[in-house]
Amino acid sequence: MTGGPALASRTTSGTKEMKSVSPALRGRAVPTDEAGRPLLDVRGVTMRYKTQAHLITATYRVSFSVLQGDRFVVVGPSGCGKSTLLKAVGGYLTPIEGEITLKGERITKPGPDRMMVFQEFDQLLPWKTVLENVIFPLRTTGTLSRLEAYDRAMQYLEKVKLADFSHNYPHMLSGGMKQRVAIARGMAMEPDILLMDEPFAALDALTRSRMQDELLSLWDETRFTVLFVTHSIPEAIKLGNRILLLSPHPGQVKAEINSVPRGQENSNQAAALGREIHDMLFADQIKKAPNASGQ
Amino acid sequence: MPQASERPNIYCETLGPDQFGIIEKPLTLAEQIYNKVWLRKVAILIVLALAWEIYGRWLDNPLLVPPFSAAVRALITDVGSGTIPRRALSSLEVLLVGFAMGTVLAGLLTVLAISSRIGTDFLETMTAMFNPLPAIALLPLALIWFGLGAGSLIFVLVHSVMWAVSLNMLAGFRGVSATARMVGRNYNLGGLRFVAKILIPAAFPSILAGLKIGWAFAWRTLIAAELVFGVSSGQGGLGWYIFENKNQLDIPEVFAGLLTIILIGLAVENGVFRLIEARTVQRWGMQT
Repeated sequence: MTGGPALASRTTSGTKEMKSVSPALRGRAVPTDEAGRPLLDVRGVTMRYKTQAHLITATYRVSFSVLQGDRFVVVGPSGCGKSTLLKAVGGYLTPIEGEITLKGERITKPGPDRMMVFQEFDQLLPWKTVLENVIFPLRTTGTLSRLEAYDRAMQYLEKVKLADFSHNYPHMLSGGMKQRVAIARGMAMEPDILLMDEPFAALDALTRSRMQDELLSLWDETRFTVLFVTHSIPEAIKLGNRILLLSPHPGQVKAEINSVPRGQENSNQAAALGREIHDMLFADQIKKAPNASGQ
Repeated sequence: MPQASERPNIYCETLGPDQFGIIEKPLTLAEQIYNKVWLRKVAILIVLALAWEIYGRWLDNPLLVPPFSAAVRALITDVGSGTIPRRALSSLEVLLVGFAMGTVLAGLLTVLAISSRIGTDFLETMTAMFNPLPAIALLPLALIWFGLGAGSLIFVLVHSVMWAVSLNMLAGFRGVSATARMVGRNYNLGGLRFVAKILIPAAFPSILAGLKIGWAFAWRTLIAAELVFGVSSGQGGLGWYIFENKNQLDIPEVFAGLLTIILIGLAVENGVFRLIEARTVQRWGMQT
């Protein structure tokens, strides 16, 4: 079952490159893992879901590849289906067209190889302490023994500077601290890829900026692969090394571009990139406006 | 008129903590005493007992309302002679068996209800039919099916506990946030492990509320059933004790029986359920 699609994606990965990526990037050599394929491969994924009255197409034939060690950011206005797309990578939703493969294996259900960090603060289980929350997935998935799980959990709690709060319950923590626990929990599992669904969106601006810095320094330490969804262009430029732009209603790939080098998020180059992204995302409105006034 | 650009930057010095008069001050003794929940509740009980005592003496008719002191005297005498403890124990035995069976059955039904749509329909239909049906109304049938004894009592107890508890459990399971569910699935939890490790703790406030309601229903049903037919294998419970004494017009003893039920209720509420709440939902911040 998994052998077929994996083989297919391997043999056609060269040609798909040309179709999906924006013209500017055509022909660019894409570095891959030892087996010659990207870590996460999203191919022509169309997502649809039903509400009470409508059948909504959230994304239409979206394709992109995430490589080992990428900080891959999906950015787009609300309604571009970016969260739906992330839930599909998480295995919670099934695409009606196209396929998503992780290390060549087709994704069919949720699993601990793709740890999810949600936007909501209630993602921590309130009946477990901070430490127990981090240990819980390590134990239930049978990854580690009790002692190893404890050591691993403490190690990652120290990384997010929460070792002192390890015996507190989640309701005693601030929003930013809860998100740090969720990140520690995700990273402690050492998943193939960490999925983050606007994890800082519900935080105040100061905490948010500090959390972004912390996430980057965590990445410097462990070089984990992360797929990050946001609606904030500055956040995408600051956090990502590669940015995927989606247009709204339904979500389609507008571009897939490189971000500015690390630490340059306040430079003129970053500002220019921000304007470029903004113009691309809102190009339709700009084009429509003169026409409307001319008639 | 000054322009916006003309306004200077302003910098202020802040005071150190030692320059303030009061930052932290303990409350007065009276305030501290008033802050104790149990003390306030005891005060309420004392006022009620006093009102009863005064009314009883003013009425001066122990056949209608004996004063509080007479009821307490009767209570102390019968507790001392071992009558009330024996009766209470025999009631509690039946009660615990019925309550436990009802809760377990409710748990099974609810798990069935959340794992399949037909299960949900089944539970909803059953609770809609049987929850409004008073357990006492089933007693005549139960007596025919299970005979004069603990069997019939347990049957009506299970009936009175099960539907109330399963309704609350189902509401609790349905209220578990989508994020918590997704977190559980992220860890590859499924089936009964998912229910035990995610759904039950997350729905615990509702489950606990259901257990409290079930406990109260069980008490009511048991005492009422004992009043109707009372003796099981020669040893009646508290309901039978009340019935007997009423027949002999020992009204203080009737009140002593009622007081015993109240005291056991208070002990279970403030002892068992309060303790569980403090250890679980309050500690987890799911209830304030």
